[in-house]
Amino acid sequence: MFAGTVLYALINSVILLLMAIGFNLTFGISGVSNFAYGALYIMAAFATWMLMNLVGLPYFLSAILSILFTALVGALMYRFIIMRVRGQVLSEVIATFGIGLAILEFFRYLGFVGIEYSLPVFLDHSFIIAGTYVDMQRILIVVSSVVLILLLWLFIHHTSIGLAFRGIAQDERTALTFGMDSDYIAMLSVSIGAGLAAIAATVIVPLGTISVGEGYEVLLNALAVCIIGGLGSTGGVIVASLFVGFAQRFTDTYIGSHWTMIVSLVAILLVLVIKPSGLYGKQKELEERI
Amino acid sequence: MKKHLGASGLLFSLLVLCTVFAGGVYGAGPIVIGVPTSTGFVEGKEGLAIVHMAVEEINGKGGVQVGSERRMLAVESIDIRDAAPGVPVPEALLGIEKIILEKKPTALVIGPFRSEALLAGMDIIAKYKVPMIGTIAMTPASEEKIKSDPDKYKYIFRTCLNAKYLVTYLVGVMAFVNKEFGFDKVYIMNQDVAWARATADLITKNYFNKTGWTVVGHEAYPTGTSDFSSALMKIRSGGAQVILPIFDMPQSGILVKQWNSMRVPAMLAGFISPLAGPGAWKTFDQKIGGAVNVNFELGSAIASQKVPKSVDFFASYEKKFGKPMEAGHGPAPTYESVYILAEAIERAGSLDPDAIAAEIKKTDRIGVMGRIRFDDGHQAVFGMDPNEAAVACVFQWSEQGDRINVFPQSIADGKITLPSGLKSAK
Repeated sequence: MFAGTVLYALINSVILLLMAIGFNLTFGISGVSNFAYGALYIMAAFATWMLMNLVGLPYFLSAILSILFTALVGALMYRFIIMRVRGQVLSEVIATFGIGLAILEFFRYLGFVGIEYSLPVFLDHSFIIAGTYVDMQRILIVVSSVVLILLLWLFIHHTSIGLAFRGIAQDERTALTFGMDSDYIAMLSVSIGAGLAAIAATVIVPLGTISVGEGYEVLLNALAVCIIGGLGSTGGVIVASLFVGFAQRFTDTYIGSHWTMIVSLVAILLVLVIKPSGLYGKQKELEERI
Repeated sequence: MKKHLGASGLLFSLLVLCTVFAGGVYGAGPIVIGVPTSTGFVEGKEGLAIVHMAVEEINGKGGVQVGSERRMLAVESIDIRDAAPGVPVPEALLGIEKIILEKKPTALVIGPFRSEALLAGMDIIAKYKVPMIGTIAMTPASEEKIKSDPDKYKYIFRTCLNAKYLVTYLVGVMAFVNKEFGFDKVYIMNQDVAWARATADLITKNYFNKTGWTVVGHEAYPTGTSDFSSALMKIRSGGAQVILPIFDMPQSGILVKQWNSMRVPAMLAGFISPLAGPGAWKTFDQKIGGAVNVNFELGSAIASQKVPKSVDFFASYEKKFGKPMEAGHGPAPTYESVYILAEAIERAGSLDPDAIAAEIKKTDRIGVMGRIRFDDGHQAVFGMDPNEAAVACVFQWSEQGDRINVFPQSIADGKITLPSGLKSAK
């Protein structure tokens, strides 16, 4: 029982990490809080479903196309909307939240409601690990997350665009003096963040069904993990995912499932009281307030 | 002077005629049926589609006779979102009030999903005196409220199953598996909402505790929960033979998939909304053989050859919308409610809400879910024989993807069989 709980807590943590990593990357580089993130996640899932069921494309091709499409939507969103309000935090939040709302409610309006909207698992098989059955899809989620984090690290640290990402993230004005186009980099960061949301949807959605309401849940999970970890900090997001993921599953097993939903909210409150910038946050102005 | 008087008289007559004519046109306008519900959920989406279907059928036959004139029906809807996680009850109430004030409906159908919203909304319905036939929210507490002040709440009715009746069907299933397979260990998993809590509490108190069953565990999940692994591990380690799920949220589909992938050796028997319709077989990768589900009303995504109207209803829906019905709760009572309302208006001969409510109460109709009559709490009476009362339908998914009606006996086509991989405890 304990081993099983640890195992599923780990998987839960990885799912939270996958849900949050794109949001965190965008904020960490460009400072844009993309509140349309959950909607992009759901849009990617529906896009994959449509390509499979309405166009008749194979699953893998559908998934790849929907990831590329979502990344493109992210880029266009930045170019035509976010760029105009960038730097005004409240306007960014209102604009992106509005876009997210429009996307989700558009799907609802079109009638994308029902159990037929689901994606197949990659491989339909279960294993026994530490005396507990675990399905292949969950193992795949863990493996793909590890690979994704490694690839992101390589991309950020060993490519010229990655260098520009870090430059803009560290000090945008100084980066500008070195000829880096901050709007182009910010557009890429929103686009890659959207693509990561799509990747998360591709591997996580097969565990259940696609529902419009899930978009809001994904956004809340991403926000919770990022706030606890420290907005913009990849290491912080990893630690926060583990913290929340384990806390949720252990609460579920040993305290009561009806308390699980408030775990992340309590964690946010605690972090805001003790360390307002998050576990690994570096926003000095927040730290100086306590 | 005479000329002026004549002209004035003519003008006055014209004005009177215009007023009468305008009044006549208004009087002949459609009777508005308001549909405040959660259209973002399959029960609400299909329910609204069925209101349109029933209205088209009635209008196709010439509409409704109100006194000396025939009137068409029209539908106005609003998404009150109360089924979604985190949506506060006041928001749903605002939606109900908005449709009443802006669309001036003669009556409402479907209504709130959440019993919490229904209980709070009853006062709004009473305040505006708009008859409402609810088809989703299930708490028996609304009946008690009606009985406590029958005059105030006389406008509120319910045609769907309530939690008390649901328990009688679940007890039928549990008694059968106990008798046939010797199962007496159950794990209860319910959504943390009023109707599901009431159902879990009632069956525990009135059946499991009195008949020697062991309740291995009981978990209540907030709406939106998406991981059930902890409970499934407890079920395995606790040796539960039956899982009693009570969920109407889309995320409960994850429970079905996890039950499968974690190879939990226990029979799934209860209500999971995503398991109710024929599409579940594809959604869950053809791995739900053996699962038993209670569709809350016959006709709601399940039909019985023994009640031909349910078969016709199921077929008509598929023909009209190009795909089968999937909601196991709501569609049949919604369809019936439109007809009950139309018949009540005809009997009342007016659109007076008191007269309509009085006629709804007198309903005695045979429809797609059996015979419908209302009790003192304005709840449609459910029973075991469709000729005597409305019925729910318990079915079991076969290993081949068919849904076999297994309870009540009057509409059963087979008996509950032991799912593959499970052993009888006898």
